[in-house]
Amino acid sequence: MARLGTRLYLALDASAVAAAALGEGLGGRRARGFARVPLEPGALVPSPSSPSFARGDEVRGAMRRALQGLGGSRVTLVLPDGLARIALFDLPRGAQPRDYVRFRLAASLPWPASETIVESLPAAHGRVVGAAVRRSTVAEYEEAAVAAGLEIERVHLAPLLALEGLVRSGARDAVHAVLGDVALCLATFHEGALVALRNRRRDRSSGEALRLRDEVGRAAAHAGNGTGPARLVVSGADAARLRREVGGEPSGRGLEGPGEWDDAVEAAWLGGLLS
Amino acid sequence: MSRQPDFSTAPRPSRVPAFETVAVAVGLVALVLAGGAAWRARDEARVARARLDGVRREVEAASVRLRALDASTRSGRPGLAAVDAEPARIVADVATVLPGDARLERLSIDYARGGAVELDVVARDASAWDRLLARLEKAPHFREVEPGPEVRDAEVRSLVRVRWVGDPR
Repeated sequence: MARLGTRLYLALDASAVAAAALGEGLGGRRARGFARVPLEPGALVPSPSSPSFARGDEVRGAMRRALQGLGGSRVTLVLPDGLARIALFDLPRGAQPRDYVRFRLAASLPWPASETIVESLPAAHGRVVGAAVRRSTVAEYEEAAVAAGLEIERVHLAPLLALEGLVRSGARDAVHAVLGDVALCLATFHEGALVALRNRRRDRSSGEALRLRDEVGRAAAHAGNGTGPARLVVSGADAARLRREVGGEPSGRGLEGPGEWDDAVEAAWLGGLLS
Repeated sequence: MSRQPDFSTAPRPSRVPAFETVAVAVGLVALVLAGGAAWRARDEARVARARLDGVRREVEAASVRLRALDASTRSGRPGLAAVDAEPARIVADVATVLPGDARLERLSIDYARGGAVELDVVARDASAWDRLLARLEKAPHFREVEPGPEVRDAEVRSLVRVRWVGDPR
C-alpha cells in the first residue's frame, strides 16, 4: 500500500523498466523502494516518430513486476531519452516559456507541430530547457501503462528529471553527459549555471568513449568554458563502462540513484529527483 | 511549489502531496482553535470588565460609608450603634463578664429599645452574683445596669437589665 506522501515513478528504457517509490516530506525526497526489471533486447525501442513497443506484452509484464514490491498503481510515467527534441533557449523578456519553446522548436520537428506536447524547465540566467515530444508517442506509452493496470498521474522525461536535478543542485563546472539507452544529453555547466545543452542519439558501437571525449571537448569549447581540458562527468546507462574507457583525465561520478540498491546506481533520472 | 512539467496527453490538475494536505489541514484546525480561543478570551475579558466595574462601585460605596463613619466618630458618636450590632457580638460581650460560678439561662435583646438586654442569671452564691454585677458595672460595653428581684436560696436567681453600647469612644 502506498504510504503517506509517497510517489511512484515508473521509468522505461530499452534495457529495463525501473520503478521507484519516493517519500516526499518537509525534509525533501527520500527513496523508499526501487526495482529494476531487465528487458530483452528489442522489446522496447524508444523512437520519437515511430512505435516504440515492439513486444508490448513483455514490456507490460516488466512494468507490473517492477511495481509489485512497491505497492500502489498510481504512477508518474518517466519516458526515456530519445523520444523528445530537447534544447536550451535564452528566454526573451516577457515571453511565456512554453509558447516560446513551441515557437522555436516547431520548425525543426519531424512531425506536425500541432501534434506536439511542449514543456519547459527553468534554468538560471533567464534560460529554459525546452522539450517537445509527439503526442502519439506519449499516448503509446500511456496506453501500455493503462493496459498494465496502472493509473497515470503525470508523464515526465528521464533526461529532464536529470537536468532538473543538476540545475537545482548547482552542478559543478563540467560537461555532464547524461546517458539513456538510446540517446544522451551533454549539459555544460559554467559557474553553476547551465550554459549549453546538446541532445542526440547514442552510437554504442566500439569507440563510443573516444567519440564522447571528443564531443565533450567541442561542447566545452562552444560554451566558452575556459582553456583547460574539459572535465567530463558521466551519469546514466552504462556510465561505469564509459568512465573506465574514457580514462586519462578522470571522469567524475554524476547523478546516481540511491546506493541501497545496486541496480539503481545508473538511474540518472532518479539521481536527479533525489539531488 | 513550482509547476512540474507534465507531458501527459490528458493532463490532470496536479495532486497536492499528502504531507502538504495534512500541513494545510493542521494549519486550518489551528486557525479555527485560535479563533475560538480569541472569542472566548474576549467574552472572559467582558465579564472581567463587568466584575471590575461592580467592585469599583462597591469600593466607592464603602468609601462613602467610611467617610460617613469617620465623620460620626469625629462628632463623638459611638463607632457601632446597637442597632447595627449582631446578636453574636452582644452575647460574646456578655460572656466576657460572666463569672465561672454563674450561668446564663436566658438572654434577650431588644433592638427597638436601643440595645436593651435582659439576662436571666443563676449564680452559685451571693458572692458570685455580686461579682457579676461588679463586672457588668465595669464593663465598657454595658451601661444602665439594673438588677432585678433576687431569689436567694443556696444559689441566687435574678434578672438583670443592661444596655449594650458597643465600643465607647
